[in-house]
Amino acid sequence: MSDVNAIEIVDLHKRYDSVDALRGLTLQVPRGSIFGFLGKNGAGKTTTIKVLLGMAHATSGRATVFGLPVGVQASSVTIRQQTGFVSEEKDLLESMTVEGIIRFTAAFYPGWRHDLETRYQRSFDLPAGRRVKTLSLGTRTKLALLLALCRGARLLILDEPTSGLDPAVSDEVLQALVRHVAQEEMTVFMSSHQLADIDQIADHIAVIDHGRAVVSGSLDDIRERYRRIQIVFDGDAPESAFRAPGVLRSQRAGRVLIVLASAGADAIVSEARALNPASVEVAPLTLKEIFLESVNGEN
Amino acid sequence: MLWHKTWLDTRRRFLIGFVILLVMAVGIVFNYSASVQAITLAGRDPDAFTSNSLLKEAIRIEQTYRGFVWHQWFGQNLMQTGTVFAAILGSGGLYSNYPGGLFTLSLPASRNQWLATRAATGLGEFFMLATVPSLAIAGMSPLIGQHYSIVDLVAHGVCFFVAAAVFYSLAFLLSTVFDDIWRPMLIAIGVACVVGILETRLDIHGLFRVMSGHGYFESGSLPWIGLVSSAAVSTAMLYGAAANVARKDF
Repeated sequence: MSDVNAIEIVDLHKRYDSVDALRGLTLQVPRGSIFGFLGKNGAGKTTTIKVLLGMAHATSGRATVFGLPVGVQASSVTIRQQTGFVSEEKDLLESMTVEGIIRFTAAFYPGWRHDLETRYQRSFDLPAGRRVKTLSLGTRTKLALLLALCRGARLLILDEPTSGLDPAVSDEVLQALVRHVAQEEMTVFMSSHQLADIDQIADHIAVIDHGRAVVSGSLDDIRERYRRIQIVFDGDAPESAFRAPGVLRSQRAGRVLIVLASAGADAIVSEARALNPASVEVAPLTLKEIFLESVNGEN
Repeated sequence: MLWHKTWLDTRRRFLIGFVILLVMAVGIVFNYSASVQAITLAGRDPDAFTSNSLLKEAIRIEQTYRGFVWHQWFGQNLMQTGTVFAAILGSGGLYSNYPGGLFTLSLPASRNQWLATRAATGLGEFFMLATVPSLAIAGMSPLIGQHYSIVDLVAHGVCFFVAAAVFYSLAFLLSTVFDDIWRPMLIAIGVACVVGILETRLDIHGLFRVMSGHGYFESGSLPWIGLVSSAAVSTAMLYGAAANVARKDF
């Protein structure tokens, strides 16, 4: 059990019939972090979230939330007591009114934050008497966020919270989230396709592909490590196999050789200089490039 | 709040069943006053009236108001319509493909708590369906100058509830296997039809005979073996449902 990690996942496997949804996923989510969980469709993000919330059983491996094993029914209830959740579908109880679902949800949480409820109901402009099924996606998302934030939770799990939202509502939701996390002591575990959203608010990320984490760590560290090294030669670029660790991919086009590295850029540059190039330029990768390299490289 | 949620999930089906059965129960009472002369007349010479043995038996039973109510209500209307509503109330559940399913499962309540609450709510509603419309018969009978014993109504209501709960439990169990509401309902109703037809054709003293409280009507003794067996089968299926839900991935 770790005091520093809100979530610990070790070698987690999940098999649905003949499909391996998770294939040895290992990652740690530090307490107090905003953790971006990235992956393509079908990479295993939602399955991971379902395992963490006790909605699906792991086939093997270990996962804990605040040190509690997710697979034990009693501790799973305790985990959900301390966790706010927004599903990708913004799945809510359709027949209830906004006020009704707030009262219904509040009854499950002794630490329900009535002060936050009043604040968010006002700032999100939620119509108390309207039925949930009549709400727009944007309003549903805000309601789902209110229901997650007011639980007095220590952990917030968000599955694609901004999917389907227009940029204005998406930004409003993210801003509310960031303000909330800045004021409350909590960990956010957020899966998303929206790399810009993650780039905007996350301090740690993991990229999952085919059920395994292919990148994981502090976003600053990852940005520091990932580099594009562009080597230009006077004549055609040589075919070169770099021995330094960290080379993800090299691509030759005429006089230019581009090397993408996940670590050890300095060693790669040294090797490159030994090839007598005309110039060597090192540039950082964007989060999108890091994501694409990670998932495409794995394939 | 678990009770509130499960009530919200099932109330429409319950209320529809309640209204239908109540109307049917009241209809039984007023139907008697309309048909008592024909029944009495047929009872004087059943052989001249019909050669059908079942019809003759019905004429014999319905010569008294007690017999009429039992035969029409507990032996037919409540047994048939009530069994359909047992299957309807037992169907559905707390699964992720229903609107609000994932939201529900993300709340801090265990699967067993949800399931037990769902089962108890449905059984409670079904008990109301099994007894309250029947009590309306006792309440309305004086309006046509008749009397029906509350004790008889309770005894028949219990027989019906316990035996028909088998089909509630079957639908409940099937709801943990299938993710939609229709297949558990239709399969349970289908099984009830097959069992009913087999019992009639083969003249078996089975589940529907326990349900109607035939033994109690004829001799005043409750069909204890049938009641205990039905309760055991229902309990086993509810346990099976709990085991399925414990294993299930949502």
